[in-house]
Amino acid sequence: MNINKYPEIKPGKKYIKRIYIAVMLWIVGRAIQAACRVDREIKKEFAELPEHFSFSLGVLPTGPFMIISKDGEGRAKYDGWKKGRNSLPLEMNIKNIEAAFKVFSFQESTSVAFARERFIVNGDLGYALAIVRVLNIVELYLLPKIITKLAVKRYHKWSEFSPVRKYVNRVLIYIRTFTF
Amino acid sequence: MILPRYSEFCGRVKTLSGASALEAIPGELKKLNASKALIITDRGVVAAGLIKIVKAAITGKGSRLTIGAVFDDTPPDSDYKVVNAVAKVYKEKKCDAIIAVGGGSVLDTAKGVNILVSLGGDNLLDYEGAGAVKQRLKPLVAVPTTAGTGSEMTLVAVIADHDRHVKMTFVSYFLLPDIAVLDPRMTKTLPAAITAFTGMDAMTHAVEAYFCLGKNPLSDTTAFKAIQLISNNIMNAVKNPGDMESRLAMANAAALAGIAFSNSMVGLVHNLGHATGAVCHVPHGVCMSIYLPYGLEYNLHKVGDLIGEILYPLAGAEVFAKTPKKQRPLATIEYIRGMNEKLKKATGGRHATALKDIVDREGKQMVPRDAIPVIAKNAMGDGAKIYNPEEQSYEDNIMVIEAAWEGVPLDLKKIKKGPKKQKF
Repeated sequence: MNINKYPEIKPGKKYIKRIYIAVMLWIVGRAIQAACRVDREIKKEFAELPEHFSFSLGVLPTGPFMIISKDGEGRAKYDGWKKGRNSLPLEMNIKNIEAAFKVFSFQESTSVAFARERFIVNGDLGYALAIVRVLNIVELYLLPKIITKLAVKRYHKWSEFSPVRKYVNRVLIYIRTFTF
Repeated sequence: MILPRYSEFCGRVKTLSGASALEAIPGELKKLNASKALIITDRGVVAAGLIKIVKAAITGKGSRLTIGAVFDDTPPDSDYKVVNAVAKVYKEKKCDAIIAVGGGSVLDTAKGVNILVSLGGDNLLDYEGAGAVKQRLKPLVAVPTTAGTGSEMTLVAVIADHDRHVKMTFVSYFLLPDIAVLDPRMTKTLPAAITAFTGMDAMTHAVEAYFCLGKNPLSDTTAFKAIQLISNNIMNAVKNPGDMESRLAMANAAALAGIAFSNSMVGLVHNLGHATGAVCHVPHGVCMSIYLPYGLEYNLHKVGDLIGEILYPLAGAEVFAKTPKKQRPLATIEYIRGMNEKLKKATGGRHATALKDIVDREGKQMVPRDAIPVIAKNAMGDGAKIYNPEEQSYEDNIMVIEAAWEGVPLDLKKIKKGPKKQKF
């Protein structure tokens, strides 16, 4: 039998989608760190998380990932895109690159992605919900309304989220996200 | 029919249903290479004489199954400390299978025990959260003694940490029992009030499964049949407890509803119900029957068409055909409120229809009004929230719980509304 007739098939790389998601995760990670210093709601969410909390959001099996931890002052800190071998208190991973692309290109809202079992969550579901709330607020700051509406279940009304807060914080978050 | 662009479904529990289903357990366990079972149950089940029936059925002539021990101290609200204690019994008695005989608390306790005895360790908290259970567990036989939780068909175990006042959710396909036994002898002696609220618990599973975000054609099918069976049989099971046909129908309905919600998940009703149970120690089914109409009202603007479709299995083809399409969603809600009222009457007022009316055995009110903010806050950390079609903020939770506390319908104008068309 000629064993070479049956070659191994290696998984494709999908470089473009992988790069797109890596960039999105970098922006979102930096934005969470910035928003935690600017927005009182996000600050409160992180304050309520346990000390030394950290989480990763990424794509299985090989990434990219986004690692966020809680620093000594109770604020979010972006820890890069490389996940170590040790598991984190909360790991929210999307099962594959195609599913991740749907989420990060806003074809699927976070909740619909959860309902379609795109995510695998390791850790406390209560913390995962807190992170989903943080992500929703960050999206509100980073993205225009027309896109944010695709990502969240209900867009805030003016009475719930003042335009002053929204636009002032948006500018501050953008500056902090893209400056080092 | 709604066909999501992507969905997942798993319903692989072998189900034994019928008047002598218990007798088949030894043969089934033998196939799984198990010969010494630990029975987990509670004192109510023992007092009702059900363990005697189970013992006689599984250790009868020709059976090679031995019973390692019977643990009958499971509390009404499964607790991780109890799970740790039962796991110790299992290990000391060198058992190789678990038979859980009881309601949701017993079945969830058994799932927790199975995690510990299969994966090692002596503290269930080490396995907290979704995704912690990643391998096949020991054989587990689920014998439900209520027709409600559907826990015999689900991949979820809800176990409380009473010190922290939280209910921990364990989720894994490996938590699905190997065998579910639906034997009407197990629910024959169930008191009317418990039959009523556990039946409405199953109804809630099926109804929420039909309109929450994870719905899919397979879960829809099981949800529809479950609603039909419950609607046709619950009153008879409450009024004529000895009617074995109604009991078997309810047991099957609860199992079907369990399959449905295990695959499509549940929303606001369970979210607020879990929180109310965790804060005020109210039985799960009682919360479900009270919150169900509110869950429908809250999501009416998003999934009204789906709620309208529920009228068919609920009220029958004739009522469905006579009701104009636009009126069906509200007719569904009215029908469910009517069912709760009828059950209240049939149980001599013990089936509460408002949170303020829930009392414990001493007649003390279980949900004081000042617990509402605590319940609303607690619900923000419960996973069911994510599968509800409409967003739920803390203020939204307060609004719904206050209405449910008073027992008055929600003011539909006050509900904050996201986009009308729900994407599945």
